[in-house]
Amino acid sequence: MSSKVTISGDIGQACQAVEQLRMKVGIDRVKVSKVAADLLQFCTEQAKSNPFLVGIPAATNPFKEKKPCAIL
Amino acid sequence: MCDQTFLANVFGSCDKCFKQRALRPVFKKSQQLSYCSTCAEIHQVAERVEALGQFVMKTRRTLKGHGNKVLCMDWCKDKRRIVSSSQDGKVIVWDSFTTNKEHAVTMPCTWVMACAYAPSGCAIACGGLDNKCSVYPLTFDKNENMAAKKKSVAMHTNYLSACSFTNSDMQILTASGDGTCALWDVESGQLLQSFHGHGADVLCLDLAPSETGNTFVSGGCDKKAMVWDMRSGQCVQAFETHESDINSVRYYPSGDAFASGSDDATCRLYDLRADREVAIYSKESIIFGASSVDFSLSGRLLFAGYNDYTINVWDVLKGSRVSILFGHENRVSTLRVSPDGTAFCSGSWDHTLRVWA
Repeated sequence: MSSKVTISGDIGQACQAVEQLRMKVGIDRVKVSKVAADLLQFCTEQAKSNPFLVGIPAATNPFKEKKPCAIL
Repeated sequence: MCDQTFLANVFGSCDKCFKQRALRPVFKKSQQLSYCSTCAEIHQVAERVEALGQFVMKTRRTLKGHGNKVLCMDWCKDKRRIVSSSQDGKVIVWDSFTTNKEHAVTMPCTWVMACAYAPSGCAIACGGLDNKCSVYPLTFDKNENMAAKKKSVAMHTNYLSACSFTNSDMQILTASGDGTCALWDVESGQLLQSFHGHGADVLCLDLAPSETGNTFVSGGCDKKAMVWDMRSGQCVQAFETHESDINSVRYYPSGDAFASGSDDATCRLYDLRADREVAIYSKESIIFGASSVDFSLSGRLLFAGYNDYTINVWDVLKGSRVSILFGHENRVSTLRVSPDGTAFCSGSWDHTLRVWA
């Protein structure tokens, strides 16, 4: 939350700023400890579906080079 | 005389975020540091996470063909096609598996700073110094001239910096140098909603992942990242902790947070429910601005392209850098992870795009 207040000569802008600040005060905030734990939980749950973490076998990964096959 | 012992409450500058707060001792690699309560909470959570192994990511494809700086790119939902736009006015659709160019359009203006693929894969949108966002339907008919079917959708009073289709092909969200964002109907070209609040050019935007509703986040030269409600046009939340222009914003896969990359050489993670910044990704050795950020599918990795020609991969939860990727010969201007998460593509001022996996 920013506590910087810019001084402007325009009353309309000041009214808008007050409205925005009122709205900000009204938001229900969740504690960081809970939010951080939720992010952690989401990551660990989704980790299995993340190809960068789990790795796909080179055969199915369209970007990895296929090993040359020898015709016997 | 009382013999109570008092816990001395040290008040000073936090070692992590440098803010003036009441500090507690935190042990990191057997070194004692002083963190404020929020950084200490995040540190506690990060400690519980296992460290990631070594990452081997290499350039698997290099897409050459642009005549000048690549400014923007987007993936198609088929996880294979890529659209990219460049300073020379060309917009090219590539097949990333074969590196073939499937379509090419020359825009009437230079500096095409924004391009996007429609969810259906049947159209692309692009715009830049022409102050407009135009939609081109993609056709495989060789006799048809793509430029002839162009539809001008958005009109701004300054350059177009970013555009994105919403969940359907029917609506486009645009951000412009005139300080506003706008939602347009593609068919009629009508303005559906406009979003005013930024004090300077808006440089980037990102839509919330579909399950979490009608919001989007935008970042601008006024150092603010603002979250908007698409239906009412109201700014729901605003964050102003960056020290310079915000070049790129991207939602976390769960939709509860977003990351931003800025010219102040840091990337930051903001949580929407806690309504504050929760992590900073920076190093003293990184002094060039971050131009583009994107998350891996699970949100554990943050890929960020920088103006010093490198791509840094950050561990989102631990706050540390996992890997640094070299390869581009000029600034990395745009970076997107593919829809299935198997690879990511980066575009650079060195006229090429690279697909990394």
